[in-house]
Amino acid sequence: MNLAARLRSPSIAAILCLAAAIVVAIVALIFFSRRTANRLAYRDSFASGNAAEWIAFGGTWQIANGTMRNDSDERGAKLITGSSDWRDYSFAADVELLGEQGDAGLVLRSSDEEAGVDSYSGYYVGLRGNDGNLVIGRADHGWIELATRSMPRGVHAFQWYHLKALVHECEITAYANEIPDGPAQTLSFNDRHCLTGGRIGLRSHSSGGVWKNLVVLPLSVAYPQSTPSGPYPAPASLPYAVDEPVTVSQRGAESPLTRRPAPGGETASEEAASIESPKPVESIGGLRAVRTKDRLATVRGTVILNSPRIYVQDATGGVAIMPHTETNLKVGDEVEVTGEVDVHDFSYVIRNAKIRLLWAHAPAPPLAVTATQAATGAFDSRFIEVDGSLAGITSEEDNRLLLSLTSNGQSFSAIVNPTRGNQSLRHITKRSVLRLRGVCVVDPEFTRNVTPFVLILASSDEVELLGGPPWWSLRNLVVIGLVMVTLCLLAYLLYLHARHWRLRAIVDERERIAHEMHDTLAQCFVGIGFQLQAIGNSVPSTLPNINRQLDLACDLVRHSHEEATRSLSSLRREFLESETLQSALHSFANKMVVNGAVRVKLNAAGEDSATPYAVKDALFRIGQEAISNALRHGDPTLLQVAIEYAATTVTMVIEDNGSGFEQTGDLGGFGLTGIRKRAEAISATFSLFTGLGQGTRVQVVAPLPPKLAWLKAHRYFWRDAWGGVSNGKGTQQNPYSYRR
Amino acid sequence: MIESLSAQEPHRRPFSLAGRAFDLRQTCAANRPAGRDGLADTVSRPSQRVEGDKNKLPQGWKTACLAAAVLLGGCRMASKPVIAVIPRTTALVLWEAEHAGAEAAARKAGYTIYWNAPTSEDDVESQIAIVKRAIENGAQGLVLAPDQPLALMVPIRNFMARGIPIVVIGSPLSIPAGGKLSYILNDEDETGRTAARRIGLILHGHGSVAVLGIDPNVTGIVLRTDAFEEYLQAEFPNLTIADERTGGFNIAQAQEVTEDVMARNPHVDAILALNSSATRGAFIALQHKGLLGKVKLVACEQELIPPLVTGEIDSIIVENTYEMGYRAIEQIAAERRGEAVPAEMKLSPKLVTRENLNTPEVQQMLTMNWSGSK
Repeated sequence: MNLAARLRSPSIAAILCLAAAIVVAIVALIFFSRRTANRLAYRDSFASGNAAEWIAFGGTWQIANGTMRNDSDERGAKLITGSSDWRDYSFAADVELLGEQGDAGLVLRSSDEEAGVDSYSGYYVGLRGNDGNLVIGRADHGWIELATRSMPRGVHAFQWYHLKALVHECEITAYANEIPDGPAQTLSFNDRHCLTGGRIGLRSHSSGGVWKNLVVLPLSVAYPQSTPSGPYPAPASLPYAVDEPVTVSQRGAESPLTRRPAPGGETASEEAASIESPKPVESIGGLRAVRTKDRLATVRGTVILNSPRIYVQDATGGVAIMPHTETNLKVGDEVEVTGEVDVHDFSYVIRNAKIRLLWAHAPAPPLAVTATQAATGAFDSRFIEVDGSLAGITSEEDNRLLLSLTSNGQSFSAIVNPTRGNQSLRHITKRSVLRLRGVCVVDPEFTRNVTPFVLILASSDEVELLGGPPWWSLRNLVVIGLVMVTLCLLAYLLYLHARHWRLRAIVDERERIAHEMHDTLAQCFVGIGFQLQAIGNSVPSTLPNINRQLDLACDLVRHSHEEATRSLSSLRREFLESETLQSALHSFANKMVVNGAVRVKLNAAGEDSATPYAVKDALFRIGQEAISNALRHGDPTLLQVAIEYAATTVTMVIEDNGSGFEQTGDLGGFGLTGIRKRAEAISATFSLFTGLGQGTRVQVVAPLPPKLAWLKAHRYFWRDAWGGVSNGKGTQQNPYSYRR
Repeated sequence: MIESLSAQEPHRRPFSLAGRAFDLRQTCAANRPAGRDGLADTVSRPSQRVEGDKNKLPQGWKTACLAAAVLLGGCRMASKPVIAVIPRTTALVLWEAEHAGAEAAARKAGYTIYWNAPTSEDDVESQIAIVKRAIENGAQGLVLAPDQPLALMVPIRNFMARGIPIVVIGSPLSIPAGGKLSYILNDEDETGRTAARRIGLILHGHGSVAVLGIDPNVTGIVLRTDAFEEYLQAEFPNLTIADERTGGFNIAQAQEVTEDVMARNPHVDAILALNSSATRGAFIALQHKGLLGKVKLVACEQELIPPLVTGEIDSIIVENTYEMGYRAIEQIAAERRGEAVPAEMKLSPKLVTRENLNTPEVQQMLTMNWSGSK
């Protein structure tokens, strides 16, 4: 059947239609799910601690008290979410700057984001502390300041502002006011070659920031065009030329969160005095050298973690800090710490610490170590990077996640502060390989003496997935085993089908030969008979010898014609397709004993529902041979034909009460060779029971193929695997098996 | 005045995210026959078939040919090769001038610029990652201002082995020029001598000076320090160096160091700030102590331009990063054309005072208008 004909087949066409429908359904599902996911309307879920949809580009973004917080002074730190399909919308949020000299705000219509100061394409609406301006700018992997306007009271750190930005076609409008009811400022800019769509984001520059109450709404209705401040107003100032850093005096004097140590804390004049007569500063690693209890020491270092405990490190080591009063240091801050040193075996803590902020800086890079190195305690309180295989994840109190990891025979834990990405961490598969960056802590308060060390991670951004679990997990091995077994069964079923197709082809060919012989050989016999009869009619009766020879020749031709007809009819498929095996054998036996004294008895049990034609044909011919042998050689008075159909076998027994015969070594005679070959062809078991004066019993047990019996296929598989696909090793003991 | 950013034509869309755009161009480039104009070749073949037997060409083929022509035409239009320009950091006057120069040259030469850098000048790890990503995404050339001379050696050698033309600007690496690597450097000796001459001039050859911001990680700064010391000693023997301090790219730290220096040397007459961070730190420290203008501040690397106008900063020795960016792109374009380029070139710095601030030459060196608008 060619391809076109196959395609015209109703069943194949139906399968193709079904497959096409499934594909269309899947595509539609993906499309609609994506549209649903990208629907333009957004409210943050920071209050519930969920912000997995945000992607960070720099900064130290954490959820704290229902707000999103970036404690880093990194320039151009971004947090992005939303869809590139978002076009016209409003984006409102409450914003607080954590430094006087930086800026913080909202990103709109963003795309192509990368880590870097202005490494995105989009608009930025923000509040800038160093010049007190509300600013609209555009980043195209480089900054272009579009418009600025002074806030009525300037822009101050630790003051909440309500900031709202709208992008409608090519107009960008900004609105800001002090919370709760301070003076407001608006600003608008018409960008002639505008960006038409993109994601939203939060961004800060040279200052930390806090954001809350984020709302994004579509501008679906006709948007009232605000009057632009000019066709293309010149920017009010250069964006970077007048930036100043976060300094000691600025943050110390103006920030209520980064105070000098309160009781007995230094004032500005004291600080100046301290410059002139600097205190002796020790290296952090040197703290271990002196074990005097509660001695005072001063160290300088970089803040590497600020929650749940402050850790500071320098080039020689790290130390935990327990401040005298509440502080709000940022990761990366350079500080000078004075306090009582509490030395333990592997770690030390500075208690009642007075902290002086020296300057702000970007967070320090981690030190890459192995888990074994970290387990020695040599890296206690230091910011390190360790690889490990995930063994489990559990939730701790305060929504912290506890990751259990192993690496090179070492086990350790990682505590992840509650941040926006913790939900996604929960979906990491066990035995995945992770790279973690955090502060190494050997303090039993954290390790609980279960693991040699614990990593405290500032956020989920400090977890990097290096690779999934290895493929040889138990689950995968079971799946692979099941797949292999299924494939073996399928292969075996295919083999059975192939064998069936082969037998079918043999039968078809034999039938074709029968038709050919009928049309040629049988017709020739008829012709020869006619010719002999014609010769006989013309031969005078005076030639008796010739007439007798002609009569003999006619008889031989007639006999040969009958034999040929009988043989041809037995070759044809219709012979057995029109009747059952037992009735065919019964008819054959009755024809053989017609006008004789032999009685034929038929026993049939079971229902012939699935016997293939090849099996039936082979059994019929074996039965023919057995019946013929019994009648020719056994001289019986009773011939019994029995057929029994079971679930997986069909059994045929031809038995007579004749003379039987003595078993000898060679059983090639009596037509047994042909019987044996036919039995082999259908994987049947052939048994012969006979003896002098005991009659003869021929039994053939043929297996039925596993047609429509998938659940039983394994029986045939194992039977054939151990017993071979040929007959001769039946389960029943056969004392006269000719295959001995 | 410094040329301010104009909004007349503020938006020239630069090269966007590296990966996507590079991939598209690579795909298009792969579709073009080598050495020929892909559009002409590809379109001519189907059109010849059409002329041969127009009636037999099915309508579907015509549509497919048209679509292919449009597609390949689009590819050709978007197939400007990309040059990665990676400064030490971005969003500072020093490096945005390079951005402006590189963009101007790229527009002229038919290239697209990929512009990105770490957020801090001492983040060499990020700079290596950015450079690698840019090259892996198909950049045809690299202009690099290295954050550190040693850590970038191996990556640069690897890129050289791949035949990528590289121009290092600003401060040199520890690799000799040659092959695909060339240098366009600031003349650090001249910077040192200029600083010494200026301080000698404003102090009339007598007094003391503090040198801040010596960064051993930046070869150029070490060279300019050496030149300054030698020239000062030779030409102004009555000028003494009261203090010399190292410092990186941390403004607050530089402020702290300046305050410390001033506390220890209260009679310092002038400060030489060797980099932009030292300049800002020194400026803020002097501002807090009320010493602006009294202690002469001579700065290297352009930063804090407004105080120059008011006289709070005496002078700035400006690196010509605009010209570095411009010439670097020209050199890479020339190398890709198979032309010889100079292995090393040094550009003279410019002493900028309030008197010459508004000259066109200085304005170009201080521009942050990378977008090409007027």
